[in-house]
Amino acid sequence: MIKYIARRLLMLIPVLLGVTFIVFTMMYITPGDPARLVLGESAPEEAVEALREEMGLNDPFLVQYFNYMKNLIVHRDLGISYVTRQPVMQEIVAAFPSTLKLAGSAVLFAIILGIPIGIISAVKKYSIFDNVTMAFALIGISMPVFWLGLLLILLFSVKLKMLPSSGYASFKHMILPAVSLGAQSVAIIARMTRSSMLEVSGQDYIRTARAKGQKEGTVVLKHAFRNALIPISTSVGLQFGSLLGGAVLTETIFSIPGIGRLMVDSIKMRDFPLVQGSVLVISVAFCIVNLLVDLYYAYIDPRVKTQYK
Amino acid sequence: MSKQTIKKIVFVLTVALMLTALAGCGGGQTDVTEKDELIVATAYDAKSLDPHAVNEVAASNVMLQIYNTLVVLDENGEVVPSLAESFEQVDDVTYKFTIRKGVKFHNGDEVTVEDAVFSLQRAATSPAVANLFGDIDPDSFEIIDDTSFTFQLKGANTGFLYNLVHPGASILSKKAVEEAGDNYAMNPVGTGPFKFVDWKKGDRIELERFEDYFGEKPAFSKMTIRAIPEATNRTIELESGGVDVAYDISANDVDRIEENEDLRLNRLVDNQTQYLGFNNQKEPFNDKRVRHAIRYALDIPAIVDAAWKGVGDVAIGPMSPNINYFKADIKQYENNIEKAKELLAEAGYPDGFKTKLWTNERQERIDMATIIQSQLKEIGIEVEVEILEWGSYLEKLGNGEQEMFIIGWTGQSSDPDLALYGPLSEETLGAGANFSFFLNDRVNELLLQGRRTPDSPEREAIYHEIQDIFAEELPWIPLCHGEAVVGTQNYVKNLELTPFGFHPLYKITFGE
Amino acid sequence: MAEANAIAKGKKENKSNSQLMGVWIRLKKNRLAIFGLVILILLILMAIFADILAPYGYDEQNLQNTFQTPNLEHPFGTDEFGRDILSRIIYGSRISLQVGIIAVGIAVIIGGFLGAVAGYFSGKVDNIIMRCMDVLLSIPQMLLAISIVAALGNSLANLMIAVGVSSIPQYARIVRASVISIKNQEFVESAKATGSNDLRIIFKHVIPNCLAPVIVQATLGIGLAILTAAGLSFIGLGIKPPTPEWGAMLSGGRMYIRDYPHLTLFPGIAIVVTIFAFNVLGDGLRDALDPKLKQ
Repeated sequence: MIKYIARRLLMLIPVLLGVTFIVFTMMYITPGDPARLVLGESAPEEAVEALREEMGLNDPFLVQYFNYMKNLIVHRDLGISYVTRQPVMQEIVAAFPSTLKLAGSAVLFAIILGIPIGIISAVKKYSIFDNVTMAFALIGISMPVFWLGLLLILLFSVKLKMLPSSGYASFKHMILPAVSLGAQSVAIIARMTRSSMLEVSGQDYIRTARAKGQKEGTVVLKHAFRNALIPISTSVGLQFGSLLGGAVLTETIFSIPGIGRLMVDSIKMRDFPLVQGSVLVISVAFCIVNLLVDLYYAYIDPRVKTQYK
Repeated sequence: MSKQTIKKIVFVLTVALMLTALAGCGGGQTDVTEKDELIVATAYDAKSLDPHAVNEVAASNVMLQIYNTLVVLDENGEVVPSLAESFEQVDDVTYKFTIRKGVKFHNGDEVTVEDAVFSLQRAATSPAVANLFGDIDPDSFEIIDDTSFTFQLKGANTGFLYNLVHPGASILSKKAVEEAGDNYAMNPVGTGPFKFVDWKKGDRIELERFEDYFGEKPAFSKMTIRAIPEATNRTIELESGGVDVAYDISANDVDRIEENEDLRLNRLVDNQTQYLGFNNQKEPFNDKRVRHAIRYALDIPAIVDAAWKGVGDVAIGPMSPNINYFKADIKQYENNIEKAKELLAEAGYPDGFKTKLWTNERQERIDMATIIQSQLKEIGIEVEVEILEWGSYLEKLGNGEQEMFIIGWTGQSSDPDLALYGPLSEETLGAGANFSFFLNDRVNELLLQGRRTPDSPEREAIYHEIQDIFAEELPWIPLCHGEAVVGTQNYVKNLELTPFGFHPLYKITFGE
Repeated sequence: MAEANAIAKGKKENKSNSQLMGVWIRLKKNRLAIFGLVILILLILMAIFADILAPYGYDEQNLQNTFQTPNLEHPFGTDEFGRDILSRIIYGSRISLQVGIIAVGIAVIIGGFLGAVAGYFSGKVDNIIMRCMDVLLSIPQMLLAISIVAALGNSLANLMIAVGVSSIPQYARIVRASVISIKNQEFVESAKATGSNDLRIIFKHVIPNCLAPVIVQATLGIGLAILTAAGLSFIGLGIKPPTPEWGAMLSGGRMYIRDYPHLTLFPGIAIVVTIFAFNVLGDGLRDALDPKLKQ
């Protein structure tokens, strides 16, 4: 098992090298001069040129990339932001927790709502509850996050004045952002739960359990749900990953200073070290979530575990 | 999955629901007499609190509360001493300053003449503020005694004293800067009425009253400056009492705030000029008649009104009326389609032509571009609007790839030199803000003269002539000036707005 | 419909027409899927006949007539320039369908090819291609699309490329998986035995036989692509005015949401309906093509 984890972590290295290279290349070909952007349109050309030299922007592409990687690998340093002149790590440490909190509470919301809905829909197949919730789930999947966010602000902040429309300081602040970011995941998880439960319930061991006269609740939760948990947890893991990346729209609407907005803003300012750093951190988080999901598989499904030996 | 897990899930669910219900309660009104904290909502977070690392409004706005400059502007717009006790201009290029004695930094140290020299030297060599202080010769500083020093400019510049009012000329503690190194921006030490406490990047900056401040003691002990980028959210926060002051109120919220009995709207036309630029070196815009034709085809008040919804002012000349030597009676153009068509025909384009209009992503500019597009259609000019992202936009403008474009220019002091030199001079062609590639020998000569000439009727005549030539040549069409629109709670008194976009919040008091 | 034709083409070789009929019959039973199909056909007709259907031009301004709430003259009201929102939504269907279909087209062609090659040759080639896909997959799609648009510049074409390129890995994975399951089957073995070259086998035998999962994914993917594109234009990337892209309309209207919610309401509904249609049709197709096919 440990060997497996180690191998997976090792495999991360080439992937992350690839990520840095792609992002670096993309930033390099992006038009716009970081030095000019930092100094603004009113700065004299000599000042811009001096800054360009200082930032190492006059070096050839590969030299720049090599210097960056050397700094990253040897000194474990993500560099200095062009715009704020402060360490990239510091900027990321300031922004990442709020994104994590946002994506985390969105997923939590999705689990709390999605799984029970899915189970009930599966148990009461084709009931009114099932039809109504699944119809809503379909609409939920089709709903753009940013639109839902605007509608929620309109309803709860403007009309009802119940919840704040910006910030992330307290639980109260997180409700609207988490709901709008998580809505799609609620739908996806509910659908996934329902279909896995239905698939599992046709299996022999469920019938056996019923035949043995166990209570219906026990059958559903202990036998059926437990077995349906693998696909469900995969989808939860995938949701968490994609929410981390997709949080940028929610962050924009609710004025949350997360890493998604940090990245978009730094792309706009051509703050290459900051772009590079934030993409790297999101990618690492994304990969780790996927790894955790895989490990979780092994934990709950002994059949998978044997493959890791 | 065991029963326990189920129980846990049910428990979490119940707790979550309860919390949601609880969240609905709360809130309450502020008691003005007890109020000891000011909360301000701004559109952007500061990029840095090192005055020499950046030059942008959000940062300046915070720096103004933390730092002091040697000189400030008084009510009449005259430069008067602040951290300096006195100052004099020794000759064309030499300035002498004497600093105030006994002023303390936030770290308890006394301000010395070395700190002042260190700060100005650092400003003179920092690229971020080079447009303001690049003229200072960094090697010319001379310390005369423990309170006074002199320095020289590389060339005479009458507007220079006005530049020293900018937060970029703040006086920093030499010791604090050197000790903090790269981290100084997060640990600023100034002499101002408020000292830095904490900074949650992208979210809020917290300040605390500095009890040893040499000036008047602020009326409240805590100041929080929050960054709320969405304009709608700023207004909502103001209405719900979450903030006391909200910057950059969007035009469509103006009425809402004016009608609200608990709130007040404060407005001041600022030093920014938004304009429609032409590439004066490209056909057909190198022909004055074409530029005039376009001006006649535009109904600028309608454009400005539709895009800015009553915020700001229609521009009648190249610089804001706030700026010294502003001339109101320069040549004006009315909206006259027939005349526009005539001029276009005269210039050899009876059926108009096709061109591109560039702008960046700012919504009001996009709106103006969209309306300009449809107004120019009436005289046969087919305009394609292209929205560029700010980074590419600046680069392409600098390269001279543009045909028509919309951009803004801000005079960072009340001296006309900063307002006109950038967008009109030969030196700044392309790379330094003269994006219309306007080359006029007379204007260039006048600009250089104006820079050197001391304030006098003679200087006034120089800048008036520049504005007249501008109006005749029309290298770019001024559209409007910006406006600081700040919403406050009714109990917020003594808010002083400046045309620079950063405001002395420490002067605010609370009252009925 | 295009999908039906594609299915027909692919299946002809090895499966009989009756199977195709079977798919259609199963699909027909799924009322929701048919509902989606009908909406899509209407949308496509709307896009094609926008010039006839729209009561006004999409860029026709009337500054005296701004922010009208829905009325007889303007069923969906007018926007901040006095443009008719209904007309802009009708023209917008062109943009959205175009973005969705072309972006997914790019992803399917490139991703499908890479996946097929990887799956067919396995070994080193497979390893290299799939590691590259892993790299792309480990950057969240929205962020990848954002940086591609930033690098290439703002335009509708670049928006399609960004959305397309960022979804390449999904298709590569799907195609690779089904190629691996197909390549050892009899008809491929026999083609190999008769000495057909690899490319020919890939194009003639392997690809047509893994169309089913690709069609399902593509149908769902078009919806997703429209959503991603709308998200990008919401944060101001990719669309030039006066292009009536729904996401951009939403973004432009959000400033006025408190007084004039109809500016954001209608484009939002248009997006939801379109994506809903693609989703239910995709679901239906999945069930119809292979009741056991999952994900």
